Amino acid sequence: TSQVQKGMEKLTKAQIDEKTTELVQYILMKDQKKIPIKRADIVKNVLKEYKNVFPEIMNRVQQRFEQVFGFKVVEIDTKNHVYILINKLEPAEGSEMTSGNPKTGLLFVILSLVYMKGGVVPEGLVWNTLKKMRVDPGERHPEFGDVKKLVTDEFVRQRYLEYTKVPHTEPVKYDFTWGQRAEVEVSKHKILEFLGELHSQDPQRWSQQYKDASSQRSSRAPQPSTSSQR
Amino acid sequence: GKEKASQLFSEGLSFDPSTFVQHTLSFMGLNWLEEEGESSDEGAATSHGSLPRNAWRRLARRAEACFRSTPAFHFMYGSFQAEPPPPKPRVE
Amino acid sequence: MVLGEGHQRFIQTMMIRGIVNEQEAKTLHHHCCEVHKEHYVADKLEEFIQVVNSKLESLNMQIRTRASEDDGMTCYALVNTANNELTRMSSDYADNELELFRRTLDLIMSSDDSTASSTDILNMADSLQTRKLTKSAAECLLKRLVSDDWLVEKQGDYSLSTRCVMDMEPYIRTMYDDEQVKVCYVCHCLAFKCQICANPLCTVKIHNPCAEKYFKKKPVQRCPGCSELWPNEVREGRQSVSQRQR
Ligand SMILES: [Zn+2]
Ligand SMILES: [Zn+2]
Repeated sequence: TSQVQKGMEKLTKAQIDEKTTELVQYILMKDQKKIPIKRADIVKNVLKEYKNVFPEIMNRVQQRFEQVFGFKVVEIDTKNHVYILINKLEPAEGSEMTSGNPKTGLLFVILSLVYMKGGVVPEGLVWNTLKKMRVDPGERHPEFGDVKKLVTDEFVRQRYLEYTKVPHTEPVKYDFTWGQRAEVEVSKHKILEFLGELHSQDPQRWSQQYKDASSQRSSRAPQPSTSSQR
Repeated sequence: GKEKASQLFSEGLSFDPSTFVQHTLSFMGLNWLEEEGESSDEGAATSHGSLPRNAWRRLARRAEACFRSTPAFHFMYGSFQAEPPPPKPRVE
Repeated sequence: MVLGEGHQRFIQTMMIRGIVNEQEAKTLHHHCCEVHKEHYVADKLEEFIQVVNSKLESLNMQIRTRASEDDGMTCYALVNTANNELTRMSSDYADNELELFRRTLDLIMSSDDSTASSTDILNMADSLQTRKLTKSAAECLLKRLVSDDWLVEKQGDYSLSTRCVMDMEPYIRTMYDDEQVKVCYVCHCLAFKCQICANPLCTVKIHNPCAEKYFKKKPVQRCPGCSELWPNEVREGRQSVSQRQR
């Protein structure tokens, strides 16, 4: 950190502000497609020769996001230094205030299924469930396009889902689990609440899941959740 | 009976994907009556009926409350080079 | 000045909507203050937006204000004010898609009525410098540009949306010459949908709502530039922001 301080002393306030603005811009642009941002890419594309003052610039960027947009920068992967933005404000209600991206509906179905089935689900169950909802991974969907690609590629790159090979299977089988973004961005409590509404039943009756959701709530504090592997 | 109920409660309800699908489709505005001569009380009915065009959007609007997603900033200005116009000799 | 959560929610909603009209902005202002139990003064929308802009501007963003060419109503759009290496990495459209958009803009700017026909646009698709687009890909792109609210389509003719005009104004003013950049005589803003003086030697253009206001109290309608009688056109304002479908 003293090295960071030394680095900062060499820079003018204008230089620091400029880099801060650029990094805010860069993160906003990466967030257009919900792709998590790697520290290595930040250094390569934005900071460049300012590499040594990364922590200090990142601090300022975090402040800007919190103070101006009500966003929070979260490091979802502390080993590889990967960041995402999440919203600090309560989700809005009303059709003008929400974007209503149909993909969020699809994601909700898959995340609910995985969560309610104990955290790991074979891909067959996901495909069958989607088929019952008229979304066939083998067909082009009018809203989702190539469904298989959306689910196993886009949602995985965005880190909403993990799609992993089951060891020692022939032919190869895959499982779905929640990705690191989902762990931070999606409220298990709110999922349960909505499922309760859908099933017209008290969500507390799914007692295992309810207990688990409460632990997410209490661990949701400042520090990023070190990916809870299940 | 009572004992069994409390036991069920402590282990928790199991989650049935087919029931989940049915409830979710209803929420999305599935029209069960579209298909004639089908009773909708069994799981088989899920492959019938018709979904309105905005069905997934409708689900998404409610599901968004479970997500702490940030809205994205979209712009056109700045997406491409604004090189100065080709020099055109003109009288000012 | 520190932004409250009400300001933050206003910015977030503007990110989703892109553009809102005056009525929508007022409702949103009220809503944002109410949700976060913040002090709300009904007629202080302008001040509220000034506060928001004071923070956004240092991040190369801005809520820009302009009168709609259709009904003269004030519109507010969230725009980007920077054009640099980083903003050009924006991920919404591919390079060749952006090129087709840029060339559509060329067509619009050089036409008399500020529109480009779909045939003319699609004909450019296979002569792009970056990488050509198939006709069907170009058709898809046009649909996307309309649903993303950059273009407006009417009977096969494309024009710029109000949001696009607001966002692209600095680009348009630097990239095109005076003959192409039409400016309203009354309000000095860019003019796309407008009335044009009947005198071929005169360059006066006036927005429909501006013309209505300008000629209202005049017994005889004469061009403010050349005094020629002004054609008494009554063009109906169409499609306001709120009628737009997302
Ligand atoms: Zn005008
Ligand atoms: Zn004239």
